[in-house]
Amino acid sequence: MSVATSQIKLTPERSRPSVRSRLQDALPKIVLAPSFAITIVFVYGFILWTIYLSFTNSKTFPSYVITGPRAYQRLWGWTFDSDPPSSWYTSIVNMGIFGFLYIAICLALGLFLAILLDQKIRGEGVLRPIYLYPMALSFIVTGVAWKWFLDPGLGLEQTLHQWGWTSFHFDWIKNKDFVIYTVVIAGVWQASGFIMAMFLAGLRGIDGEIMKAAQIDGATTFQLYRRIVIPLLRPIFLSAFIVLAHLAIKSYDLVVALTSGGPGGSAWLPSNFMYEYTFKRNEMAVGSASAVIMLMTIVAIIVPYLYSELREKPR
Amino acid sequence: MSAVATPARQASGGMSTKTLNRIVIYGLLALFALFYLMPLFVMLVTSFKTMDEIQNGNMLALPKAPTFDPWIKAWSEVCSGLTCVGMKGYFWNSIKMVVPAVLISTLLGALNGYVLTKWRFRGHTLVFAMMLFACFIPFQSVLLPMATILGSFGRFGVTLQNATGFNFGLGNSTVNLVFVHVVYGIGFTTLFFRNYYEAFPNELIKAAQVDGASFFQIFRRIMLPNSLPIIVVTVIYQFTNIWNDFLFASAYAGSGDVMPMTVALNNVVNTSTGVVEYNVNMAAAMIAALPTLIVYVVAGRYFVRGLMAGAVKG
Amino acid sequence: MAFLEIDGLKKRFGNVEILKGIDVELEKGGFLVLVGPSGCGKSTLLNTIAGLEQITEGEIRVDGRAINDLHPSKRDIAMVFQSYALYPNMTVAGNISFGMEMRGVPADERQKAIDKVAKVLQIGHLLQRKPSQLSGGQRQRVAMGRALVRDPKLFLFDEPLSNLDAKLRVDMRIEIKRLHATTGTTIVYVTHDQIEAMTLATKIAVMRDGEVQQFGTPAEIYNNPTNLFVADFMGSPAMNLIPATIATSGNALSVVLQREAREPITLPMANAPTGLSAFQGKPIIFGVRPEALTDPEGAERNASNIATADLHIEVVEPAGSDTFAVTNLGGKPVVARLRADANIQPGTSTPLAFNLTKAVFFDPATESRIR
Repeated sequence: MSVATSQIKLTPERSRPSVRSRLQDALPKIVLAPSFAITIVFVYGFILWTIYLSFTNSKTFPSYVITGPRAYQRLWGWTFDSDPPSSWYTSIVNMGIFGFLYIAICLALGLFLAILLDQKIRGEGVLRPIYLYPMALSFIVTGVAWKWFLDPGLGLEQTLHQWGWTSFHFDWIKNKDFVIYTVVIAGVWQASGFIMAMFLAGLRGIDGEIMKAAQIDGATTFQLYRRIVIPLLRPIFLSAFIVLAHLAIKSYDLVVALTSGGPGGSAWLPSNFMYEYTFKRNEMAVGSASAVIMLMTIVAIIVPYLYSELREKPR
Repeated sequence: MSAVATPARQASGGMSTKTLNRIVIYGLLALFALFYLMPLFVMLVTSFKTMDEIQNGNMLALPKAPTFDPWIKAWSEVCSGLTCVGMKGYFWNSIKMVVPAVLISTLLGALNGYVLTKWRFRGHTLVFAMMLFACFIPFQSVLLPMATILGSFGRFGVTLQNATGFNFGLGNSTVNLVFVHVVYGIGFTTLFFRNYYEAFPNELIKAAQVDGASFFQIFRRIMLPNSLPIIVVTVIYQFTNIWNDFLFASAYAGSGDVMPMTVALNNVVNTSTGVVEYNVNMAAAMIAALPTLIVYVVAGRYFVRGLMAGAVKG
Repeated sequence: MAFLEIDGLKKRFGNVEILKGIDVELEKGGFLVLVGPSGCGKSTLLNTIAGLEQITEGEIRVDGRAINDLHPSKRDIAMVFQSYALYPNMTVAGNISFGMEMRGVPADERQKAIDKVAKVLQIGHLLQRKPSQLSGGQRQRVAMGRALVRDPKLFLFDEPLSNLDAKLRVDMRIEIKRLHATTGTTIVYVTHDQIEAMTLATKIAVMRDGEVQQFGTPAEIYNNPTNLFVADFMGSPAMNLIPATIATSGNALSVVLQREAREPITLPMANAPTGLSAFQGKPIIFGVRPEALTDPEGAERNASNIATADLHIEVVEPAGSDTFAVTNLGGKPVVARLRADANIQPGTSTPLAFNLTKAVFFDPATESRIR
């Protein structure tokens, strides 16, 4: 018997649910609806809006006449005649350098510190919060602190000169070819402690009996980590990578506070490019196009991840 | 095995490998502790020094004659651009923005998490996935449309002001920022509560239903009183994120006396009129950092848990 | 008219049918146990009675009134959950009175009701504690108190003893039975434990795959299982279900059981069920409970049909009150239940008595009983 016929048979016997009880049944959806509507409009609607703007000739004010992919052609159409070829070129090269070093160093340092801390360390309770506190600071404060610390005239360089190492020279923060590496240093300083905490939680979650079994099998400490522990931490690597990639693409404040964009915009990341072009240089369409490219990069990383995370647990 | 257990006694001539290992490990850990503490230490000592001492002394040295003047100046006199009224006004701007934004987004997240775990409907995973994805977008991709919308809110507010004598907060920068942070924060708060309520026993909900409790009674009497840990985690996470935000703040309240703390700090540090007073800058940075640092010191455990929950989905 | 009537109840999730037409009824003051393996739909059935899950088709009536469209709180039921579902943020007293509070019962009446229930269940000294400060057995009592205080038409129990350790489980089982006897309430009880079902129920519904396999009194279910599943599921140790064939000797039918390395055993059937004659020369399943296969001295004196055969004993398990002996018939291990002091050695042959009055037969093709 199909569902439809059975319901036709049953309808007359059942009392009609009252308006009140139907309202009761719909209440959960009514409660969720505003949040969902907000998300649809202010996230997905706005994304479409931004994509639309990127295909117009908007300058200071939005224009809604589609003029084709001109903004994208401007972004990607640099020549190597000038140095740097273009601000966008600088931004994406910086993104590559910063993204790679930031993620790689944070992962390596985080794992290294976690393994050290996992050796039954006295005072772990003191050290762990020390490694992690920078994550509580804003990028702006981090930037201000490191700007001071790396300033050739006041910071590290000057201090070492005073201690007698007069040949020491460290002016990356003022050097257009190296300024992006100072962003890496400050970024790593801020996030690596958190990555350490993630790995440490992962290490603590490993079944102690597996470790005992491996020791009985004669594995050295190094082999134990290399062959058993690190492979078991794979899911943590994935989560940490996602977190870092996400932070890296969004990093805007750090560049602003640490370098004010660097000499001639040499420290720009795509996020800075977007902000500058949209709000300061009155190139709204180009700014929008750069935002779309940032979004696509995130989508390429996050969507497969979210899909696998939410799908793995069928109910 | 016993040799491994008592290595110190085995080594009669010198240090055993094990002791050496421990020294290396502790040495490395201490070195990294220095690396993480150094910038904060420098910031802190500098904020208590006079300009004279900064220019002629060592960055790492403790202040010879500690002075609170830079802090006082940062709080009530320092210049941000051309206005010299200190950080205090901006500090309160941030407070006025953070408190409502945190409360509203946490409450909405709790309700959403409750519905998405205990009152499931067809398509609940899709709804959740769409809200979750919103956490990850680069906000640059919504920055401009939001600016446009907030602009028209403001114009509408002026119309209302003329018509009714009251603008209902439309066009007010603080209200705007609260709105923006709620909109882009509910993804995270929903995630936190959903994951927490996922493990919350369904039988309690069933028991409450049999007992005659309504949808909201169950939420208020059963769910909320048992949600303290996740409420703390969410509040701390949201507080830290919103307090530390710079992008939205600079885009929608980037100048004048409506700036939140982060924007004001950046302006103070980059104000180039006259002599740069590094001690005052550092004190201002410390003032901007203190609220989140205090939260971290007081409730570090929950802070870390929030970061983890934000990192590990599912 | 019965007090609780469930008529043609069906439940579907999409295209999956969870309950496939359930018909059950229970008299006032009765104790119905829904028993079956996990996933058989017994908890879903209980939830539909409670109103926690909607039904697709059919009707549930209590005391003549259809309740299937009512909200759980309007059905005049109380429920005890597997995890007890005590609200962790409330005291014991708060837990017990929460339902009354939701119904707007005044505080002084609530207090009276709490005191009364606390007295019945002897939990007066626990009233101000939080659930986390209680032991498993105490939580169980509080959960029952929460149900009792409502004085409902129908009590629903969802595997209430499965989280207790073995000894406490027996104590609480007796307690529930005593409570039922003294208060005369009507109870529907879900369990996967067939001993709980046998000891507590006035009626048992054995379920599998969303269908009731057999519905009847504990004695009917135990002695007259309608199919192989019920025979196998109810009873511990389980009924021996031995592949056999039916042969004719003269007018009478006999059961032939294969043995390893020896000639088959032939058991003459004096009062075979009539349906069995159609199975001459064909395979059947011969079912005999361990207590109907015992040492000849221990066999039931007044049983009319006893056959003895020499069996090779493979394993002996002294269990204290009884001794179990395992032999092999028809290629399957077969358990016999002997007196505790039976003198029996593994690896030897011993004569054992089959009480054929208690034997049952099943058709291997349909798995149903041959009557």
